[in-house]
Amino acid sequence: MNFDSIIGMMPAFGRGALYTIGISTSSIVLGALLGFFIHAAYRKFPRQLKAAYAAYVWVIRGTPFLAQLFIVYYGLPAIGITPSAMQAAVATLAIYGSAYFAEIFRASWNSIPKGHAEAAIACGISPLATFMKIEMPQAVRYAIPLLVNQSIVLIKESSLASIITVPELTLTAGKIVAETYSFVEPYLLLALTYWALTYLTSILGRRIEKSFSR
Amino acid sequence: MSELIIQMCGVGKSYGLHQALSDFNLEVQASEVVTLIGPSGSGKTTALRCINFLENHDEGIIRIKGQEIGYDTGGGRARVRQKHKTIAERRKPTAMVFQQFNLWPHMTALENIMAPLILARKLDQHTARKLAERALARVGLASKAASYPEKLSGGQQQRVGIARALSIEPEVMLLDEPTSALDPELVGEVLNVVSELVKDGMTMVMVTHEMKFAQEVSTKIVFMEAGRIVETGSPDMLGNPTSTRLQKFLAPLHRGGAVAY
Amino acid sequence: MFSRLDGYIGPMLAGASVTLVICIGAILLGFIAGIALYSLRNTGARGAVALADVYLGFFRGTPLLVQLLMLFYIPIALGVEINPYVAAVIALGLNSGAYQSEILRAGFQSLPKGQVEAADSVGIPRGKTLWHIQIPQVLRLTVPQLVSEAADIIKASAIVSVVTVTDLLRVGRQIVASNYRPLEVFITVAVVYLILISIVQLFGRYLEARWRTKS
Repeated sequence: MNFDSIIGMMPAFGRGALYTIGISTSSIVLGALLGFFIHAAYRKFPRQLKAAYAAYVWVIRGTPFLAQLFIVYYGLPAIGITPSAMQAAVATLAIYGSAYFAEIFRASWNSIPKGHAEAAIACGISPLATFMKIEMPQAVRYAIPLLVNQSIVLIKESSLASIITVPELTLTAGKIVAETYSFVEPYLLLALTYWALTYLTSILGRRIEKSFSR
Repeated sequence: MSELIIQMCGVGKSYGLHQALSDFNLEVQASEVVTLIGPSGSGKTTALRCINFLENHDEGIIRIKGQEIGYDTGGGRARVRQKHKTIAERRKPTAMVFQQFNLWPHMTALENIMAPLILARKLDQHTARKLAERALARVGLASKAASYPEKLSGGQQQRVGIARALSIEPEVMLLDEPTSALDPELVGEVLNVVSELVKDGMTMVMVTHEMKFAQEVSTKIVFMEAGRIVETGSPDMLGNPTSTRLQKFLAPLHRGGAVAY
Repeated sequence: MFSRLDGYIGPMLAGASVTLVICIGAILLGFIAGIALYSLRNTGARGAVALADVYLGFFRGTPLLVQLLMLFYIPIALGVEINPYVAAVIALGLNSGAYQSEILRAGFQSLPKGQVEAADSVGIPRGKTLWHIQIPQVLRLTVPQLVSEAADIIKASAIVSVVTVTDLLRVGRQIVASNYRPLEVFITVAVVYLILISIVQLFGRYLEARWRTKS
């Protein structure tokens, strides 16, 4: 085990980590927003959107992320859309996450007893205010652990962006392996870096959870 | 003749093939206390929830203070469903107390009462707080203002629910089995609060299984079975039932001579 | 647009069977690893529990792709030639074991303790108790989650195409390399995955219904 080489790799790993963190945070935020609005739309118009929502969730959760990535990066140019590797990675990961996020929000809202909204309506509180002030605080409390879990999944999934040449952590490690012919140190550092990222995310999640409970 | 607060004509409601309510007629005047009684499935809760349009009635007309709620019929048979805003407007004179309390768990007792004042009546924080504190004091829970529902007993939670209903200054209160979800020793504190409100002249429509209480506070009793009204009368009819079906319903309570609870 | 693909049904079916074979291997390996992990943690011995925790931390805290690359290239660095198919099954299987151990743990905990006590009292060795008494029931209890995990394995298996395993996705890439129609090919590949996964999920629901009525 060559420790000097590990230290020598750190700058490159730092740059790769920035890409990984960038892809992850963008797709988590975009995916959560997208999933939230998709779920909200479905909740508002259940009869009309039931089939579309179910199909969306079924297809996105039922196919491998890598296949979706290939469709976007290699396939879309055939119909005139040419995303960069970074754009393809973020967009596809966001859409992939949105299906899971939408289902998380759906489960959260379902966990609220129906009577709470009824009491609000009976008091004259508007449907929008009921949604924002009565239902959402309860739903968020339920959702946070699930949202944090899903974010960790997306951080790990971002490693697949390396396959379409985004210079994030995994590709960086691969490059170093190819250039220095050492396998153990780069991959070890790679594993440690991801482990640190996911561990920090779950700690952050626990903090957020605590700040929401009284 | 005092004002007609609620008027229900020929109201019916079915869920699929099951006719939960048929040909329901009721008039409630100011300061009246009308109690609906009957076995489970008799449609009494359905009738109550139709009044403030938490259930949409399939037939008939419901008027609150002379104004139709839910559908505009213009007196004829054709009906047009009202917009959300209209329904909310027509619903305003009513307030409901729920069997399961339905307090919002992420708010304190005081905040539960302030919420409708701020969000529905558009009052400012300061005014809302004052009114909420008054309502809470009226049900005897001023000391619990900062407590969350999970820390309150069932009876206390229901009293907060009553305070919440009171705070929007309704002209009629709708109580849906307010004590059915309570342990027996907690029932009394809630019934005491309701009695006080009746003494102060509040108009009420109540669904309950507490026969003695119903007899004490009501001005009119409506006995229902299988979605229809069987018998209407004064509270004395509970001690002296005329129809055989009412006799049967009250029999387990009359066993042993005295009305037992 | 999709018409010209019927010539490729053969290779795609071959790729799909490779995917399925790898996944079946991974599911079984994952099950055994899950049981082993549960048993390790159950002993309560500090060393065993720590070992299990390191395993779980690694396989759940790092991407599957990284695990696969490590499992494939580090042996090569140490001079051991490893068959990519074997590496794929091992990586997927050990990874799945981390998740299956959680699923199985919940199942084990919901069994009444008295059952193990009864087995002990008539002299059945613990190993046999595990396999003949506890596991059949745990399986029945956890079928929905295990099937869901199986579907996840099929989805995750798409990455083994990276280490030159000719699974369904790699076949797709090969076809694209020859006919330059990435959109149609990859969509078709995705659809095949969707069908495979949906069949697994339907099978799970069937098992659930059947085993629920039995108990």
